[in-house]
Amino acid sequence: MNTRQPDPPRPGACLTRRSFLLHSGAAVTGTVLLCNIPGFEGISLAAELASYPRKRLGRLSELKDGEPVWFNYPDNSQNSGSMLVKLGVPAGGGIGPDQDVVAFNLLCPHMGGVLHGAYKAADQVIGPCPFHQSCFDLTRHGMIITGHATESLPQVLLESEGDDIHATGLIGLIYGHSDNLRP
Amino acid sequence: MPTNQSMPFFQPRDKVPVPPKNAEVLTTCCDYCIVACGYKVYRWPADGPHGGLRKDQNALGRDFPIGPMQGNWLGPNQFTQALHNGKLHNIAIVADGDASVVNPNGSHSIRGGCIAQKVYNENKPTKDRLKHPMIRINDVLTPVSWDLALDVAAEISKHVIKRYGEDAWAMKYFSYQFFENTYALTRLAFKSINTPAVAQHDHPSMVDSTPGMTDIGYDKFSASYEDFALADCIVISGTDPYESKSVLWNEWILQGIKTHQAKLVMINPRKTIKIAYTEQCGGLHLDVYPGSDTAVHMAIERVILENGWEDREFIDRWVANRWETESGFGQGTRNLPWQWRTTWGHFQVDGFEDWKGWILSQEESDPEVAARIAGIDPRKIYQAAEMMARPKPGGERVKTTIALEKGNYWSNNYLNTVSIGTLGVILGCGGRPGRVITRLGGHQRGGRSGGSYPAWKSPYKIPGRRRHRLDLDRWVEAGHVRFAYVVGTTWIQAMCGSQALADTIGKHTRGNAHQLRSGDRQHIIDTLKNRVDSGGMVIVNQDIYLIDPIGSRFADIVLPAATWGEADFTRCNGERRIRLYSKFYDPPGEAKPDWQIVAMLARKMGFDGYEWQEANDVFEESCRFGRGSSTDYNVLRTVARRRGIKAHDLLRSYGTTGLQCPLLLDGDKIIETKRLHDFERQDLPLTGPAGISVQDKKIMSFSTQTGKLNLLKSPWRLWADFYEFMRPRGDELWVTNGRVNEIWQSGFDDTERRPYIQQRWPDNFLEIHQDDAAKRGIESGDRVVIESKRVPVQKDFNLGIKDDDMWFSGLMKRHHIEIVTGSFEAVAIVTPVVKKGVVFTNYLDKGNPANSITPRVPDPLTLNYRFKLSSGTVTRIGESPYKHSFARMSFKRRNIV
Repeated sequence: MNTRQPDPPRPGACLTRRSFLLHSGAAVTGTVLLCNIPGFEGISLAAELASYPRKRLGRLSELKDGEPVWFNYPDNSQNSGSMLVKLGVPAGGGIGPDQDVVAFNLLCPHMGGVLHGAYKAADQVIGPCPFHQSCFDLTRHGMIITGHATESLPQVLLESEGDDIHATGLIGLIYGHSDNLRP
Repeated sequence: MPTNQSMPFFQPRDKVPVPPKNAEVLTTCCDYCIVACGYKVYRWPADGPHGGLRKDQNALGRDFPIGPMQGNWLGPNQFTQALHNGKLHNIAIVADGDASVVNPNGSHSIRGGCIAQKVYNENKPTKDRLKHPMIRINDVLTPVSWDLALDVAAEISKHVIKRYGEDAWAMKYFSYQFFENTYALTRLAFKSINTPAVAQHDHPSMVDSTPGMTDIGYDKFSASYEDFALADCIVISGTDPYESKSVLWNEWILQGIKTHQAKLVMINPRKTIKIAYTEQCGGLHLDVYPGSDTAVHMAIERVILENGWEDREFIDRWVANRWETESGFGQGTRNLPWQWRTTWGHFQVDGFEDWKGWILSQEESDPEVAARIAGIDPRKIYQAAEMMARPKPGGERVKTTIALEKGNYWSNNYLNTVSIGTLGVILGCGGRPGRVITRLGGHQRGGRSGGSYPAWKSPYKIPGRRRHRLDLDRWVEAGHVRFAYVVGTTWIQAMCGSQALADTIGKHTRGNAHQLRSGDRQHIIDTLKNRVDSGGMVIVNQDIYLIDPIGSRFADIVLPAATWGEADFTRCNGERRIRLYSKFYDPPGEAKPDWQIVAMLARKMGFDGYEWQEANDVFEESCRFGRGSSTDYNVLRTVARRRGIKAHDLLRSYGTTGLQCPLLLDGDKIIETKRLHDFERQDLPLTGPAGISVQDKKIMSFSTQTGKLNLLKSPWRLWADFYEFMRPRGDELWVTNGRVNEIWQSGFDDTERRPYIQQRWPDNFLEIHQDDAAKRGIESGDRVVIESKRVPVQKDFNLGIKDDDMWFSGLMKRHHIEIVTGSFEAVAIVTPVVKKGVVFTNYLDKGNPANSITPRVPDPLTLNYRFKLSSGTVTRIGESPYKHSFARMSFKRRNIV
């Protein structure tokens, strides 16, 4: 049983890509400051979301608990394989009525092991990686549970528009890239 | 529906600059665990130009995007910026993708993989590095000149030594932080001052961690990592190498499992991820209670002996017989630990048959009895014996390797290391490929002694006309220390019974009436002299950060040290491989390497021989002090001189591969040593040891007087009284501790200044079995307090006359043990990983040290603390903020396979 609630909204303006674009009124590239982080005053999330493509992934109503759907994001390059899943419990960055729909890139940020098929629905984790057994907590933004990856599993930012699910950006760098948008 | 507002605590960049083709490349190794993976440092100006995405456009030599297992990928945590010669540079620190030893193809751990974040950067969490010497004036640490700080330290040191003797001048220091530094520190303490009041970061005294193995004749670090890939059966006691020596597991142990189905026997109260994996691959988990290992070892030995599975050929050739035993098989002739340990005849045997008879006669070696003591299924003891020793169908012996670490030797130090060592002897472990017995290790091997420990000055007299080395914590507790030089260790939280130790040190420093009120040089010196004359203590703390409480609350003088990456250093890893760790950026402020600070202090105290100009001078001077040791690198100096270069530069030319010690010389050719005790070795010069080569007997036989192995007894009764006291009573649980994979560095790096790790482990944790948790109403994420009202602290006892005086019951009877209360807090993780009846916590959370409740009664035989053995109650006190957070701490079980 999972009784956790989402983190409360943090002080300071938290802009989604969508509201940012609405407020700026134009297609903009550049850094969007999303959130101030407690304990790290002055350091803000610098994700250049406005330059990420917006990609429709499917419908909330078609997702079943624990059954992943695969897609590529932000492009179709070899390292962009990703997974959309309804975890069945609320999660960081989760969307949908239960805040449990999340998406992640599927290359282990340690040495590039492919995590396709490694989702464990009972624990809401992905892993162990076939190379060196890193495991990631999908309810916690892809945080490492145990293993060697030096980054969390990159999380695909999601938005819902009615029943539609859209990918709108990435938190973290995809394994093997120096820039998510320059494959 | 709006996006969930939760954001991750660690928020990496989604792009990283690539080092250009002409970036400078320097080699180093990871600063953390003993494996010491090879790393390359790429350095180029901050304003670029950066490299391109094709391999001919970048220094990584890879085309982007880099594919799986190609190595040399550069993630955000491998990148930082630092000053080099005063100019801002980009720095990328990447596991060496071209490595062929230690970490082939750039394999790395989470810890080394984040090591770029160790680098000082004034815009990052490392910004609070110590930058200037400081003196505590009006209880404020006030920046002063090096000259004033060291003048005061030298004046007080001289005063203390003159008036109160050398043993009132104490040093507590790291054993591992590079040969140059440890050489300089011990030169000052032992050669120049000659004090016995010295202890390393993890012991109360200058002692051996695995004395049982040593007494048998095994070197602590005899193995080569290759042995772990060659063994058929690997016994791993008291650790899970995946959690603390990741690359040893990933690249070497796993190789054996995958290539020839090597089987593992893991002895550990927790079913960690690798133990779960091991079971899947036909391995065995002996889920013992902390401290019960000796009985389990003896029972396995008994099953082996009863079945005749011991390695007779090896035993006939290498076990000392009665004559060899009686003709002085010890390690010397006078007053060494060996002599007094054997004084009362508790351990010696007359050869193999005598030892076998003893094992078979012991109640604890009965598998049913041992299984009851350890809380395991007795069938596992038979299974373990079969896996280790039953010959293969063709009659060929199983190649068994034994590896042990702190769960083994820091629960029941002498008996566990004796009994696992004798198990090694009868299995034929020692010196052959895939058939070795070794420590796995904690810190890297960077210790070099610049002088001899003055054992005769220790006041600790024990039965048999022998002396223990001085127990510094007890010495402080008794009020004998007037000046303490504390270098690179937290000291207090790292020692057992830490709350009591903090109280004592606080009383002698801040609790003293003589405190500084002005920055006037004479006022400072006079006041601190008055302090020590009134029974107080002055502390000089030399470190890279201000450490609480030793630096922030207790020290009078704080000195800033330069560290890894800020000066050239050398060190060996767990297979005795020496490498040069390059300087690649400027130390912060006025920080200096420890050896240089020692030299300045020593000169001010009037000692000779501290005129070193650079790190290489110290290194070359240290060379001859390691001759004959397992880390003998003396030939580096000889070869370098022949070539007219510096020894550091010679070693630098070997890059991340380095050289495996001990090193020998054949003409101009350096000969490495893959494994010690290698009696089948063929590559040594036919002329024998000549010139500067020292061919110690451990190279081709064992480390005893005869070169043969001594079988020893491990009588349970010598330990039973203490174990009985420590066993949980009422609703207490066993409380043990250790490392988790994501945290290596306890004092300053991982959980203190690395947001990526802080999100995973924002607080101390306690793993508790679901049945134990349910009884106490504890859920994952709850804050709990772990408390013991009966922490034994040995306050004194410097004179022992009768045998029984030194055992725990004797100390209790004679009122040498004080019972104190200790507690610490943690966030509960309810999990099936840990054995029922046992809880597991981080080995050293500075704010909530598990050592608050560990017994400060060292093993009376060896003066090792029993860090892994405590008991206490666990009580819920509320919820932690992480219970309802998506951003920090995961409560998922750690053994998903």
